[in-house]
Amino acid sequence: MSTARVLRTALADAVARRSAFWAQIGVMILNDLAWVAFWLLFFHAVPGVRGWDARRVLLLYAVLTTAAGLALGLTSNCRRIPQLVSGGALDDILTLPVAPLRHLLVRRVDPVNLGDGLFGVVLFAVTGHPTPARIAGYVAGSLLGAALLASFLVLTGSLVFVTGRGETSSLAMNAILLLASYPVDVFSGATKALLYTAVPAAFVAGVPAGLIDRPGLPVALALVGATGTFAVLGGGAFTLGLRRYTSGSSWRSH
Amino acid sequence: MRGRRLTAPAGAASRRLLADVAGLVSVSAFYVVVSVVLAGLWRAATAHGPVAGYTGRELTWYIVTAEAATCAINPRLIEEIGDDVVSGAVTVEMLRPAAVGGVRLAVETGRALTRLAVLLPVGAVIGWTAVGPPPDATGALLAVPALALAVAVNVAMQHAVAGISFWLRDTRAAWFLYQKLVFILGGMLLPLEVLPDVLRHVASALPFAAMAYVPARTAAGHVAPGLLLVQAGWLVVFVVAALAVFGAGERRLQEVGT
Amino acid sequence: MGWVPDHTAPAPAIEATGLVKRFHARGGEVEAVSRLSVTVPAGERVAYIGPNGAGKSTSIKILTGILRPTAGDARVLGLVPWRDRRRLAARIGTLFGQRSALWPELTARQSFRMLAGVYGLDRRREDRRVAELGELLGAADLFDDPVRGLSLGQRMRCELAACLLHEPEILFLDEPTIGLDLLAKTRLRELLVHLNETCGTTVFLTSHDVADIEHVAQRVVVINAGRVIFDGDLTALRRDLLAVKRVEVGLESPAVVPDLPGVTVEEHTDTLLRLEVDTARTTIRAVLDHVLDRCAVGDISVLDPPLDQVIAQIYTRGGVR
Repeated sequence: MSTARVLRTALADAVARRSAFWAQIGVMILNDLAWVAFWLLFFHAVPGVRGWDARRVLLLYAVLTTAAGLALGLTSNCRRIPQLVSGGALDDILTLPVAPLRHLLVRRVDPVNLGDGLFGVVLFAVTGHPTPARIAGYVAGSLLGAALLASFLVLTGSLVFVTGRGETSSLAMNAILLLASYPVDVFSGATKALLYTAVPAAFVAGVPAGLIDRPGLPVALALVGATGTFAVLGGGAFTLGLRRYTSGSSWRSH
Repeated sequence: MRGRRLTAPAGAASRRLLADVAGLVSVSAFYVVVSVVLAGLWRAATAHGPVAGYTGRELTWYIVTAEAATCAINPRLIEEIGDDVVSGAVTVEMLRPAAVGGVRLAVETGRALTRLAVLLPVGAVIGWTAVGPPPDATGALLAVPALALAVAVNVAMQHAVAGISFWLRDTRAAWFLYQKLVFILGGMLLPLEVLPDVLRHVASALPFAAMAYVPARTAAGHVAPGLLLVQAGWLVVFVVAALAVFGAGERRLQEVGT
Repeated sequence: MGWVPDHTAPAPAIEATGLVKRFHARGGEVEAVSRLSVTVPAGERVAYIGPNGAGKSTSIKILTGILRPTAGDARVLGLVPWRDRRRLAARIGTLFGQRSALWPELTARQSFRMLAGVYGLDRRREDRRVAELGELLGAADLFDDPVRGLSLGQRMRCELAACLLHEPEILFLDEPTIGLDLLAKTRLRELLVHLNETCGTTVFLTSHDVADIEHVAQRVVVINAGRVIFDGDLTALRRDLLAVKRVEVGLESPAVVPDLPGVTVEEHTDTLLRLEVDTARTTIRAVLDHVLDRCAVGDISVLDPPLDQVIAQIYTRGGVR
């Protein structure tokens, strides 16, 4: 199928740019190790926070890095929609007989982020007590988290069709990744509600990680529902934005 | 006069920064999110009593201050300096009658201080609404110059580090490493008192502590005025280092080209 | 009387009727395209020219389905571009000078593999097509080098192959020779003509380079301020456009204004004499002889007037057909 073909080509292209590759992977791993170090130091000083301890947080972090690695590594253009639109790359895609969003998403692979994902796998293997059931939960949870993250970024990125600017998109990405990397019970009240709805950071890693420890159908369905909802919202926003774009009424460079 | 050669571009850059409202809103929004999250985490950590000698209230003001010190700095500074060296923009700057390093330091410090001035009231609101006023009035007052010094030291050190781009071309790895060191050893994510003894001693000897830990602990009420002198010391060290690196780099450009 | 459709004539490749495109810009509305109508029969080579801001890019975007018009109708290969974008995209090719369909780190052949997947070509057809194009464009030896390392002229030949892979019926080109050296430009122009003559591909070309028009186009459409101001074959345009030349004379001492038929004086100072020569009425040779005889000439040059100016002249002379 052409989507797979495009993805494979994108991977080949990314690997061909090998020069900075290993340096960047090293940097990503350093980044992740720094966060692990932070959590270890934190829980060295503090025995537990609202039911969360080092083990649970590291499980959360494993799921997060895997999900982010997949979303930002394989479908890496999900974070670049504003740049692609304002740079004119969208016009190029529109001259091809493809569905624009699908082609756009698979058209570029960032192997460096895949390195992030690999870190997550290693972290899970080392600290996550992998059993066949837990591995299945980890894989499914990470895939859903990745889909949710990518959908959220497509949704916020589609704002470019209205505003012509992309800062909100990168801000949204940093925010959701940051919020998703903390034990969700640290937040309370309105903030916590936000993380289960408008900015679904809880569903990106916290909820899937929780399901690995305590599998349960209602929570699993909620996760699937959240992912599905944002997939629809993201796709819808992009389609509406594209309509605006092709009518020329959105900001565009001529 | 020589002073004007530095203050004029710094003032111009700061005015342009203030005019970019969208950019300032972005930085502020990010600052708010990070501060609220981290402060909330630490407050939850103190549910059963102080952690490493800090109460929940103190930790909130600690985080709000530490984050302001780091969010005020352009996150892509080292990368941008590297890009400018490689692209030849620095070579063009050498045509002006002022030291490139000096002008850049002045401009970037001006920008960072302007951002800090915007973030300070925001941070004060976050802290006050969460836990009330800062635990110590002297500390709160001293924290302001401490923050200014922290920002200046950070900018100066980043320039000194970014100067390697005159010799190597890719500085991104340097920035990542730098940022992580500030996170942990600079006390941006956690007060240095949390670190195990050996690490704590190492951290207090390093310049990173001057960039976030000193103003943060001051605002949290753990005042030690001598630390501001340490900050000033590091500032001198890195301004000299940055000017030296840029001077050497310019000479290299003159001989070798880009 | 009714109009009787001619069933023997094939449908035109491009048929635009009364296209209008309005944009909302700061300070009001901008009409980039104003009641533009043009018909291009299948297999023709058309040059679509106009000054910057004339509405060329906008109208091409409408014809390729990237932009929806405010009003008017268009059919490309019988399809309405903005409604049947994907079906149309499978039958047209686009080559925009500043943009690339190839992946720079990969070889052209690897990019062709990906495009073959996008256009739904099976392996056999793809291989046949790549071999054909390699021969047609003289680029077979370039297909296995990373695109990044090719010269601009070589890259453009590979880009041309990429947009022809799926055997499109129309080829839209936007400034394809920009940045190329003279040899590469000539080669590309010859390829376009050859392609059109052997495969019957309709060629729709926009360019600022008059030589592109001269060597490739059979017909020329001039657009300005969003409307067609000239639509005719190349010889007709040559009469209007390329019939004007400018002669610039650097004078060593003040000279009397020459009075010649077909010659207009554009500027006359003590040191400079600039003449506009209508070569339909007189020859450059006659003008040069006259000037050299009667003036103290320090320096003399014969120039083509810039395209923008000539088109503006066509417009102000009321050349709306």
